[in-house]
Amino acid sequence: MNWPQILVSMLPEHLLLLGMLAILGLEIRSGRPSDGFRTAVVFVVAATAAAVWLWADGYQAVPFEHHYSVTPASTLPKAVLLALAVPVLFISRDDFAETPYYALVLASLYGACLITSSESFPTLFLGIEILSLPVYALVVLGLMRAQSPEAALKYLVLGGVATATLLMGMSLIFGWSGSLALPAFAAALLSGDTLALSGAALVTAALFLKAAIVPLHTWAPDAYEGASAPVTAHMAAIVKAAVLLAALRVFGVAPVTGPAVGLVAALPLLSMAWGNLAAIRQTSVRRMIAYSSIAHAGYLFFAFLGDGDGRWEAIVFYLVAYGLMTVLLFAALPRGADDERQDQLDALKGLYSRRPFAAVMITVSMLSLAGLPPLPGFVAKFLVFRNVLDAGHTGLAVAGLVASYLGLYFYLRVIQYMFMNEPEPSAARGRPRRYAVLASVLCLVPALLLMLLPGWLLDRL
Amino acid sequence: MAESAALNLVLWLPALGMAWLLLTRNGSDRGVRWSSLGLMLLQLALTAWLYLRFDGSMPGLQFETRVPWIADWNVNYHVGLDGLNVLLVALTAFLGPLVIAGAWTAVDKQVRLFHAMVFVIQFAMTGTFLAQDLFLFYVFWEAMLIPMFLIIGIWGGERRIYATLKFVLYTAFGSILMLAAVIYLVWSQAQATGEFSFDFADLGRHPLPLGVQTWLLAAFALSFAIKVPMVPLHTWLPDAHVEAPTAGSVILAGVLLKMGTYGFMKLGFPLFPDATRAFLPALWVLSVVSIVYGACLALVQPDIKKVIAYSSISHLGYVMLGLVSLDLLGIQGAIVQMVSHGLVAGGLFTMVGMIYERCHSREIAAYGGLAKLLPVYSVFFAILTLASIGLPTTSGFTGEFMALLGAFNAAWPVHEARASLLLVLAVLAVTGVVLGALYMLWLAQRLLFGETRAPHQPLKDLDARERAIMLAFVVAIFALGLFPRGPLAKTELAALDYQQRVLASRLPGDAP
Repeated sequence: MNWPQILVSMLPEHLLLLGMLAILGLEIRSGRPSDGFRTAVVFVVAATAAAVWLWADGYQAVPFEHHYSVTPASTLPKAVLLALAVPVLFISRDDFAETPYYALVLASLYGACLITSSESFPTLFLGIEILSLPVYALVVLGLMRAQSPEAALKYLVLGGVATATLLMGMSLIFGWSGSLALPAFAAALLSGDTLALSGAALVTAALFLKAAIVPLHTWAPDAYEGASAPVTAHMAAIVKAAVLLAALRVFGVAPVTGPAVGLVAALPLLSMAWGNLAAIRQTSVRRMIAYSSIAHAGYLFFAFLGDGDGRWEAIVFYLVAYGLMTVLLFAALPRGADDERQDQLDALKGLYSRRPFAAVMITVSMLSLAGLPPLPGFVAKFLVFRNVLDAGHTGLAVAGLVASYLGLYFYLRVIQYMFMNEPEPSAARGRPRRYAVLASVLCLVPALLLMLLPGWLLDRL
Repeated sequence: MAESAALNLVLWLPALGMAWLLLTRNGSDRGVRWSSLGLMLLQLALTAWLYLRFDGSMPGLQFETRVPWIADWNVNYHVGLDGLNVLLVALTAFLGPLVIAGAWTAVDKQVRLFHAMVFVIQFAMTGTFLAQDLFLFYVFWEAMLIPMFLIIGIWGGERRIYATLKFVLYTAFGSILMLAAVIYLVWSQAQATGEFSFDFADLGRHPLPLGVQTWLLAAFALSFAIKVPMVPLHTWLPDAHVEAPTAGSVILAGVLLKMGTYGFMKLGFPLFPDATRAFLPALWVLSVVSIVYGACLALVQPDIKKVIAYSSISHLGYVMLGLVSLDLLGIQGAIVQMVSHGLVAGGLFTMVGMIYERCHSREIAAYGGLAKLLPVYSVFFAILTLASIGLPTTSGFTGEFMALLGAFNAAWPVHEARASLLLVLAVLAVTGVVLGALYMLWLAQRLLFGETRAPHQPLKDLDARERAIMLAFVVAIFALGLFPRGPLAKTELAALDYQQRVLASRLPGDAP
């Protein structure tokens, strides 16, 4: 064992682990509930800095051969995920003072970091489980509503199904190839062998379930609605991004052609259309975001089509744009003690006259999620559909773009409510919360830079 | 150098205005209005200087700026003036201060946001005209949607939300397919030549098979035809116009609609010339249907704004007819008609706004004998009516006459070759002029003459601000009508270039 190498290359993970221990240790020592928030922020910021440093340094190492490697291609997404977690922590400040919350968030981030560096199926599996298990608990933790336990249970059961499916797929691929390394998946996908293909299909299905692709999406609206807002932000931005990065690890740069096209394109296309259509009917903001994220998962999987060249670039850029905008939305949404009523879309009516800053932030977020230029969501969408067209699937690209058009209406409706409708008398007039404002600035500034200079990030991908 | 800097300033001044309005919170509404007006006038002054400096005898772009933006795909921030956009940029800058001045008293809620949105749309429109890079063009093109969505939706009439959603969803559908076409065009070109480029100048080089050209033209044309709008894609326009506040209507009629025809002229037809020529008869038919159908609908509207909205469809039909005539006279007529319609329709919508502010009604039947009640208003209204009809000495005459002349020039040789469809269409287009005279004169007659009637009396005639606005419109209309030589000289080479590019073949295998 090369201990110094393990120490340096896994520095972000170590810092998260230390953070968890510190949060729990401090509480045990003082004997009363302590403020986990500050500790969590310090350690997540440190972990982000470590990941950025490793990436900027071009650090490469293989601390655990065939299982875990560190390259700039793994440290960059790690840095992105950890950086997104900082504003999410800021949003949590007002909802959660409890220590377990912060320990669980850090644990979940630890899993996300493992995923981005995984080289083999066992590591990937560990990463996905460590990512998801804390979230099951997080969904019930706030217990803001009566439905929370039900939502968590649904999430847990379907998460278990995904786990089982993933394991089954992994074992089929292992049985076919005798290898647990991730490239075995690409080989299985291209082999044309029934056993291998069923393995690949099961692994893909598990990823679809985790990313909430139609028809495996039913847990998402319930879980998003049942959880409290910061947890929903964590699920929508970070967990979803980690799952997509897991898919990116699994698919690598394997060309998706032949029968694999149907496997990878059909359900995501359905997701885009259904997610966007179902979002129109929602009256709860979080359910709407859930359906929107179902559609976005569809776009993201669309980027896998083609020979794999532009895949990495498209997905990472998309995740950055999507993650920033989702967290920005949750940071800007007005919240109060009565969570259930606040979560109604109607509560947003007339928001501009009450809270202009929040309304403008939400508008930016909605327009970017809708993929309208010049916001970063547009370049992200452009990258995805460039991949699809470049691979020669003109029909799929047009169908996908039309499906994305369907989503425009419900994003615009949010803006309509905020700017054009009169406020409901019952709407809360809560003051903007300091930490949430900080979180929205943390999301807005990088998003604006990304809008003006998308080339900066693209050059580095 | 100084000119390039000035051109960039013309583009970015409105963006600065928007940033300043959104980032500051202090200051009275009055201050916001005055400083917005000042900024717009500064933009106009710079544009006027550039217009005078623009040399019509030089082909190609002038006052160019080209800076790499997304180096990965060779996307550049590339802006410049050429014969096709110089008049439209001038028109946009000219209408800017008039829009602000026209909304001086009409907009009294969320004044800061309103001016910020006017600046955003001014920025996006100027950018769309100036962009010489397809990616940049698309970004500006789409950026026009949201400010208009808010302008109609916040400050509009009773059914404003329905109208604004219809407007956005309609136009966004066109642009989503255009996006597919843009990506396809650039990437198929990159595969053939090994070089990525979004530059307008490079896009025209690589020949495409007719089938591909047809699909791409269809995708671009859908987006442009919705914006123009051409019958049968026009149904969003009357709703948007009627519900929009005056400022919104002026921007919409004055500049936004020209985006469609400009898109056809700059991109659609020259990029896909073979497909364009293959569908020429269909394009003629659609243009003439727009002219005649728009005029017929204008005839029967009970609402003043709707009359002008439908007349816009008819007038822009002439622009399309001039463009597809592929005759130099017709093309130049189309360019002049674009500017002329911007001035005339912009002026008319402003006048409707003025009477609406006084009486809160747009029903034609509610008014009568305004010539006695509002003499100054009526004089201006009568002048604009005549300009809309296309009376000689007004700008409307120059534009429509040249477009029709171009159509006949193009149709006659085809007729001699025993195919009379085009000639029949050209003759039908002339009936649009007659119908135009009919609906506009009838409108003026019902409003200005007859029994004195108004929903709200006593009425105050135009004040100094309103007179100044209308005077600006009228002076511009007569200037373009009496001295068209200057603008025509600036656009001639560009029109010639457009004609040659559409007539040249871009099919693979053909000699370039």
